Amino acid sequence: MGKMLVVFKREYLERVRSKWFLVATFLGPVFMGLITVLPIVLAARTKSSSNLSNVVVLDATGTDLGQRVAHALQATTPGSPAPQVRVVMADKLSAEEDRATQQVVNREVQGFLVLNDSTLLGRSLTYAGRNATSLVDVESITAMVRQSLLDMRLEKEGIDPARVAMLTAVKLNATTEKITDKGREAGGGMSSFFFAYGIAFVLYFMIAIYGQNMMRGVMEEKTTRVAEVVISSAKPDALLAGKILGVGLVAITQVVIWIAAGIAMYRVRAPLLARFGVSAAAASGISIPAVSVSAGLALLAFFLLGFIFYASLFAAVGAMVSSQEDVQQAAMPVTLLLVSSIVFMQPVLINPASTMAKVMSWLPFSAPIIMPLRMALISVSWLEIGGTLAGVALGCLAAIWLSARIYRVGLLMYGKRPSLAELVKWIRMA
Amino acid sequence: MTDYAIDIQHVVKRYDEHVAVRDLSLQVPRGAVYGLLGPNGAGKTTTIRMILDIIEPDQGSISLFGQPHRTAGILDRVGYLPEERGLYKKMQVRRVLRFLAELKGVDQRTADARIEEWLERFQLKTAEKDWGDAKVDELSRGMQQKVQFIGTLLHDPELVILDEPFSGLDPINAQALKDTVVALRQKGKTVIFSTHVMDNAERICDSVCIIARGEKVLDGQVAAVKAEHGVRNVALALDGGSRGAVDAVLADRSLVSRADDQNQYFEIELAPGADAQELLRRVVAGGTTLRRFELIQPSLQQIFLDRVGATGVELGVSGHG
Repeated sequence: MGKMLVVFKREYLERVRSKWFLVATFLGPVFMGLITVLPIVLAARTKSSSNLSNVVVLDATGTDLGQRVAHALQATTPGSPAPQVRVVMADKLSAEEDRATQQVVNREVQGFLVLNDSTLLGRSLTYAGRNATSLVDVESITAMVRQSLLDMRLEKEGIDPARVAMLTAVKLNATTEKITDKGREAGGGMSSFFFAYGIAFVLYFMIAIYGQNMMRGVMEEKTTRVAEVVISSAKPDALLAGKILGVGLVAITQVVIWIAAGIAMYRVRAPLLARFGVSAAAASGISIPAVSVSAGLALLAFFLLGFIFYASLFAAVGAMVSSQEDVQQAAMPVTLLLVSSIVFMQPVLINPASTMAKVMSWLPFSAPIIMPLRMALISVSWLEIGGTLAGVALGCLAAIWLSARIYRVGLLMYGKRPSLAELVKWIRMA
Repeated sequence: MTDYAIDIQHVVKRYDEHVAVRDLSLQVPRGAVYGLLGPNGAGKTTTIRMILDIIEPDQGSISLFGQPHRTAGILDRVGYLPEERGLYKKMQVRRVLRFLAELKGVDQRTADARIEEWLERFQLKTAEKDWGDAKVDELSRGMQQKVQFIGTLLHDPELVILDEPFSGLDPINAQALKDTVVALRQKGKTVIFSTHVMDNAERICDSVCIIARGEKVLDGQVAAVKAEHGVRNVALALDGGSRGAVDAVLADRSLVSRADDQNQYFEIELAPGADAQELLRRVVAGGTTLRRFELIQPSLQQIFLDRVGATGVELGVSGHG
C-alpha cells in the first residue's frame, strides 16, 4: 500500500506539473468560452453593423416593386433615410449598374439591388455590395423582396394589403419540455441533444487521451528500463495500481477545473458579454443544463470505471511493446473498442431507447460512453444505471486481471512484439 | 541469525526453450564483496532477479539475512543497480532520487538530506552548478550513471547488488564505483556484483561464484579458489631474438596442456604430472632466448576457461543474463 502511494504521488505530481497539463487545463475553458460566446458576439455585431437601408435599388421592372422593397428596407433601420430607388429601362441597366458600383467603391452606399423581369416572375434578383458575403443580410434582403412581390401580386388580385398582412402573419416558435420521472422539465429538444452529445464526446476524449497517456508512461518506464529498478522495490501490481489511480486523478483534476471555470464564466456572463457589446437579453440565451447530484455521481462513476477499464488495457499494451513503431499497431484492438462506442453514438442519439442502445449500455467497453449519452437524452431507470455500472465494474476487474498479468511479464521482455499465442502464454505464466 | 546475507538453495528457473538456472545453491557471507562471474547468458541476471523477487524461481528457496526473501519489507534493505540502466528522462534529478528513496520506505525529509550529501560527494552539486534541479535528460551519460548509482544507495542498504556495474562506465566513474564498493565494505555492507570481466572481479572480490549454463562451476574465497587450482601455470616471455623451437616444445601435449600464445608472451598451463623445470630445459635447449620464466598463480580468467571451456562461453550467449 505504501509503495503504491509513492508511485501514485509521482504519477500525479509529474503530470500535473507538466506544461501540457497546464496549457490544456487553462486554455480549455478559454476555448470553451470562445465557442459559446463567439457566435453570440458575432450575431450581435452583424445585427448592429449592417444598415440594410443604405443601398440603391435599380428597378427595371416597370412596376412599383422598387418602391415597396425600399419601404420594407427602411423599416429595418428606423430613423435612417429610405434607400434611393432608380427606375431604369432594361437597356440602360448595365450603365446604371456601373454607376452604382462606383458609388459603392466610393463608400457612398453599401450595395445595390437589381430588380428586373426575372424578379417579377419570381425567379431571381441580384445583390452586389460590400456585405454580399453576409448570409444574414442577403437572406433578409431576399425575404423582403419576396414579401413585397407577394404583396404586389395579391393586391393585383384585389385583396386588401392589410388583410394580406394579417393572414400571412404566421410565426411559430416551438417550446419543448422534457418529461422525466420527476415530471415536466424545461429543456429537451436541441439543448439536451447537444448536451448529451457534448458529454459523450468529452468522456470519449478524456478516456482516449488519458488512456494513451497511461500507455506512453508505461512504455517510457519499460524502454528507459526504470521499470526494473521500480519493481525491485515495489510489486508490479502496486506499480500498475498507483499509475492508474495517479493518471485518473489527473483527469479528474482537469475536469473539475474545467467545470469550475465553466460555472464561474456562466456566473459573470452578462458583464463578460457586455464587454463584447452583447446585450443582457442575448446573454441569457446561454444556459447551463441542470444535472442532479445523483446523475452527476453516476456520470463520475461511469467516467472513472471507463477510465480504469481502458487505462489498464492501454497499460498492458504499453508493457507489450518495446518500440515506438510497434505501439500504434499493438494498441489497435483497444482503440477499436473505444472508437466503436463513438461510431454508434449517432444511432443512439437518434433513438436512445432502441435495442442496440440498450445492448451497448450493458457492454463494459461501450457503456461508459453510451450510458451517459442515454441518461442525458431520456430517462433511464436507476435499476438500469446501477446494473450497467456493475457490469462495467465487472469488466474492469477482468481488464485489470488480464492487464496485470501481461504487465508483470511484459515489463521485462524486450525485443519483438509478442504474438497472440505468446500473449496467452504470458497470461498463463504470470 | 545466520551469517549469510544471501542463501540460495537449489534454485531452478526454466523458460520454454531453455533452463536459465539449474539447481543453483550459493551463500554470500555478510560483509563480503562477492562476485557472480560467468559469460553472457550464464544465468547471472536471472539469479539476481530471483533474489530481488522480480521473477519467481520454479523450485528452490532464497533467503535474505536469514529470512525468506518474500518477507515484507526485506527488499527495502537491498539496493539494486540493474545492468540496463535508465531513469525518468523528463524528471528533475532531485525528484527522481526522492522517488527512488521513498519507494524503499525512506521518509522524504531523510531522503532530501541524503540526496544533498550524495550530490555533493559525486560532484553533481558544486559552487558553480547544481545539477539536482536539472532534468535527467539534460545530464551527460556519465552524470546520469552517477545519479543512478546514488539512487541505488540512498536508502543505506545492507546488501547492494550491482549487475554488470562496469559496463558502459567511463574510467572516472569506474574508479568512483570501485572506491564506493571499498567504502561500503568498510562499513560492513555486503556487496554482490555480477560481471563477465574477470579482471575486475579478481581485484575487488573476497569471494566469487562462477556460473556457466545456469550451473555453478565453483565458488569460494578468491585466495582459496586460486590455491585449489595449484601453480600449474607458467608465464614465458621471449627476448625478441630467436624464437627457436619454442612452438614445437609448446605443442608437446605430455608437457603443456594449453598455451595462450600472444607472440612474444605465453601463458602456459602445464600438463598433469609435467615438470616446470623440464619445460625450461627444453625451451632453452631449443635455442630460444628468454627474458622471463615464471611460475604464476592462475588468474580467475584462466580458472574460468579451464573449468568452463570455450564451449561454455559460446553456448551461453543466448537468452538474457
